[in-house]
Amino acid sequence: MIWTGTPKASGLARVLETRRLLTLALAGALVWSLASAGWGGGIVHTGGGNSFKDFLLALFPPELSPGFLKLAVAASWQTVVHAVAGITLAIVAGLPLGVVASGSLGGPGRSRLAIAAGVRFVLAFMRSIHELVWAVLFVAAFGLSSLAVVLAIAIPYAGILGCIYSELLNDVPHGPLDGLRSSGASPARVLLYGRMPMALTDMLSYGFYRFECAIRAAAIMSFVGIRGLGFEIQLSLNDLRFDEVWTLLLFLFGLVLLVDYWSARVRRSLGS
Amino acid sequence: MTSTKNIIDGRGLGKSYGALTALAPLDLAVAPGEQVALAGPSGSGKTTLLYILAGLLPPDRGELFLDSQPVAQLQPGRELSEAAGLVQQQLDLVPQLPVVQNVLARRLGQWGLLRSLASLFSARERATALNALSRLGIADKIDERTSQLSGGEQQRVAIARLMVQAPKIVLADEPVSSLDPARAEEILKLLTGLADKTGGALVASLHAPDLIREHFSRVIGLRQGVLQFDIPARELTPPVLEALYDLDRNSQS
Repeated sequence: MIWTGTPKASGLARVLETRRLLTLALAGALVWSLASAGWGGGIVHTGGGNSFKDFLLALFPPELSPGFLKLAVAASWQTVVHAVAGITLAIVAGLPLGVVASGSLGGPGRSRLAIAAGVRFVLAFMRSIHELVWAVLFVAAFGLSSLAVVLAIAIPYAGILGCIYSELLNDVPHGPLDGLRSSGASPARVLLYGRMPMALTDMLSYGFYRFECAIRAAAIMSFVGIRGLGFEIQLSLNDLRFDEVWTLLLFLFGLVLLVDYWSARVRRSLGS
Repeated sequence: MTSTKNIIDGRGLGKSYGALTALAPLDLAVAPGEQVALAGPSGSGKTTLLYILAGLLPPDRGELFLDSQPVAQLQPGRELSEAAGLVQQQLDLVPQLPVVQNVLARRLGQWGLLRSLASLFSARERATALNALSRLGIADKIDERTSQLSGGEQQRVAIARLMVQAPKIVLADEPVSSLDPARAEEILKLLTGLADKTGGALVASLHAPDLIREHFSRVIGLRQGVLQFDIPARELTPPVLEALYDLDRNSQS
């Protein structure tokens, strides 16, 4: 905007008042939920303390035999492949959906806003269902195949990415956009030369964060019977081989660290 | 009509936002070759007037002719770009893009979508940008990220962009506010030269009375959206200026 006035004092006071009430209400809800969570009682596993100690001690050392390491590498690879395919599809679908949902394309008018609202609705639906629930549905449809995992990750993640991307594209400073518009640039060109470059770093780093989440999600797909790190963790747990569990957990940790390192490098090369 | 003579001819131009009057109706005629300074405290309507003159903000009332044509009939990016161009502080550069892209951004209205997309990866009309940048002494920065340039250099990038556009009417919103005196002199000379080259006029908002007297032929005083004076720049004496910026008269706000 070229002219920004301060809101009327009474309006501001009202906003602050509402805010304070809301803070109080939220704090109250937190206390109430903590109090009603039922901390005592319930069924307590009396041997739990010992099991937990066994589990912790098994870290020294974890299972490092060549045969098991090979299995861990293969399981990690399987998980990474699922995560990469899932997140790639999610970005490919989420980016255009996010652009449309941001309402930054197309001329002024009601149809553009209606389409944006419609896409927002679809995005909300996609992400309101958890990846594990999607996985159950897709395993029922396609059987125990990689396709089921990849789609189960891609759909909710596209919903999340689309939502975040649309907000990032809308939250860029408006001065440069006005500058581009004054050159007669169409909304598509304002998107290419203004919104995208300004939002790119944030979009990338959020994409990387979602990639991390995709790795965790791909690992946990063992719950529906898909192979990968989680599947092996489950098998080792059933055998009470905590040392093997640790090895697999360290591999999972390593994968997340790798993604984090990669993300930091990419962001640095973009100069932010 | 008289509009044939003046390069800017505005009659009864006004703009308000709800109950607030950003600019009370005023007449403004600027002849080719004039340099007009806009002075006045913050919130006095200088930026609003510049936006209206640039065709970026439609006035609520009044009519405006740029180069003898009604502004509403000028197509943005084409005739409007040829008639008037606004350089804002450095707010309208995209900091993440290389300098060359920011300089060429004013071409976007003329390029097709595919050409615009291709130029993002390999700049079209790079020679045009290089030419403008070398005249401003920052040719070596052409491929740098705009955010890595100093404030003064970014200001020149904004001016290089205007040179590529080459409008008849050069409009500048506080072009020297963040510059040291030597730089300020230089930038004002460049802006004046730019307007002279196209046979147009310069309209710029600024506060420094010395610079106004030296580089401008005329000065317009605005205060809370109302025209206070429209006088030759040499008549801008300290009492006139003090009256314009006098804080006591603003005390109700």
